[in-house]
Amino acid sequence: MLEGLVSQESLSLNSMDMSVLERLKWVQQQQQQLQQVVSQSSNNSPELLQILQFHGSNNDELLQSSFSQFQMLGSGFGPNYNMGFGPPHEAMDECISRTSSCHMEPVDTIEVLLKTGEENRVIALKNKRKPEVKTREEEKTEKKIKIEAETESSMKGKSNMRNTETSSDTSKETSKGASENQKLDYIHVRARRGQATDRHSLAERARREKISKKMKYLQDIVPGCNKVTGKAGMLDEIINYVQCLQRQVEFLSMKLAVLNPELELAVEDVSVKQFQAYFTNVVASKQSIMVDVPLFPLDQQGSLDLSAINPNQTTSIEAPSASWETQSQSLYNTSSLGFQY
Amino acid sequence: MNTYNMVKQRFIKKWINTLHMLDSSIEHPLNVTERKNAIRLSSDLAIAAARSGATVWSRALISRSGNKTTNKPMARRILKKARNRIKNRCSTLRRNGNFTAKVGVRKRTELLKSLVPGGELIDDKDYLIRETLDYIVYLRAQVDVMRTVAAVDLVTGNLTNDRRNK
Repeated sequence: MLEGLVSQESLSLNSMDMSVLERLKWVQQQQQQLQQVVSQSSNNSPELLQILQFHGSNNDELLQSSFSQFQMLGSGFGPNYNMGFGPPHEAMDECISRTSSCHMEPVDTIEVLLKTGEENRVIALKNKRKPEVKTREEEKTEKKIKIEAETESSMKGKSNMRNTETSSDTSKETSKGASENQKLDYIHVRARRGQATDRHSLAERARREKISKKMKYLQDIVPGCNKVTGKAGMLDEIINYVQCLQRQVEFLSMKLAVLNPELELAVEDVSVKQFQAYFTNVVASKQSIMVDVPLFPLDQQGSLDLSAINPNQTTSIEAPSASWETQSQSLYNTSSLGFQY
Repeated sequence: MNTYNMVKQRFIKKWINTLHMLDSSIEHPLNVTERKNAIRLSSDLAIAAARSGATVWSRALISRSGNKTTNKPMARRILKKARNRIKNRCSTLRRNGNFTAKVGVRKRTELLKSLVPGGELIDDKDYLIRETLDYIVYLRAQVDVMRTVAAVDLVTGNLTNDRRNK
């Protein structure tokens, strides 16, 4: 699960690097236009100048470019510059996700400051990622499922609390409208919001979004699920994964049964030092195998930290190059002797 | 990240308890298969108990495992704590035979229902997926823990063998 999540994140980052390269040229163009925009918009000028200064200090190309995109939309330059929107639109999604994941504070300030302006459309676009991620993570914490970074989710939750105007449904619908039509974004955004008040379509959309949300959760949990689209394919992946895990449990229980002739898998919360002491002091005496297989330091990732166990054991750790079949054979031999460990 | 570790730790604690109980109540089976079944049963009960009966799959798993054991009082003892929180007793489940799904979401959902304990009782597709998600997390925790314990066992087994051979 960890690996799947990590790989997904790295994938998105990689694709974003490609888009960053494309957009670097675009950013240079936009910066000039941005200056014009800033000079023209009088109401928001002090705040925008602050933002620009903030960005000037923050050497983040992505943030600047994403911000410039918002500016384009907000100020109504849409039809002229949306031609350039075509390719980097998905990049913007990823950009938003990345910025929202890596730079929390500037994003918050953007949200707050922009809110005072025409913002609803802009924030709707930005919230494309956020409510999805936020609600997804709410449900995740509710179900005690591991998230990539819980701190992120809490911060996103905070940032979303400030947007009291847009409900998550309408923002999602506006975002869907935006994702479908790239050229005349802001106009369609408005139309969709009007449609949202219709009872039937709202309920239907809510239901559909719920299902698609669930599918996205599953994509996160089941590794390798993101390449397949459509319900049947993803269900296939899920079924595969569940079967795989169940088979692993069978295999591991068999392995444990072989390794522990007395079913005494006693595990205690012993510290590392005690664990080491156990290993050095164990004598071939008549101790029962309360195999105080002391459970080791579960480090942060929850995996066995073999390096922390004992430097003295390096030889024995290298020894298990022997396959476990021979291991089990040796165990059977010792067990025939009346296994006294 | 923290919640997943907590899941694993809860599972470990329950697993120790269930193994102890199983070991005390069963005469020592020397058969590997019986040992494997005992370990599997105890770990299944442990993940279900770790979920504390709040989900359908955990309740179904408990009832299914309870029916598999020959020694019913022992099973009841193990499950006492978990059952205190369970509202409904799930009826015994029977797995369908090998069911190969070829086309269609419907057939796949039926297959998924057969895989996830308690899935047959769920009609709502949304809820089924949510249950599956939860079940996968706990299954994954089970696999991770068992794998690390097996690795440690391997190490200790090797160590004691070396000492013996010396």
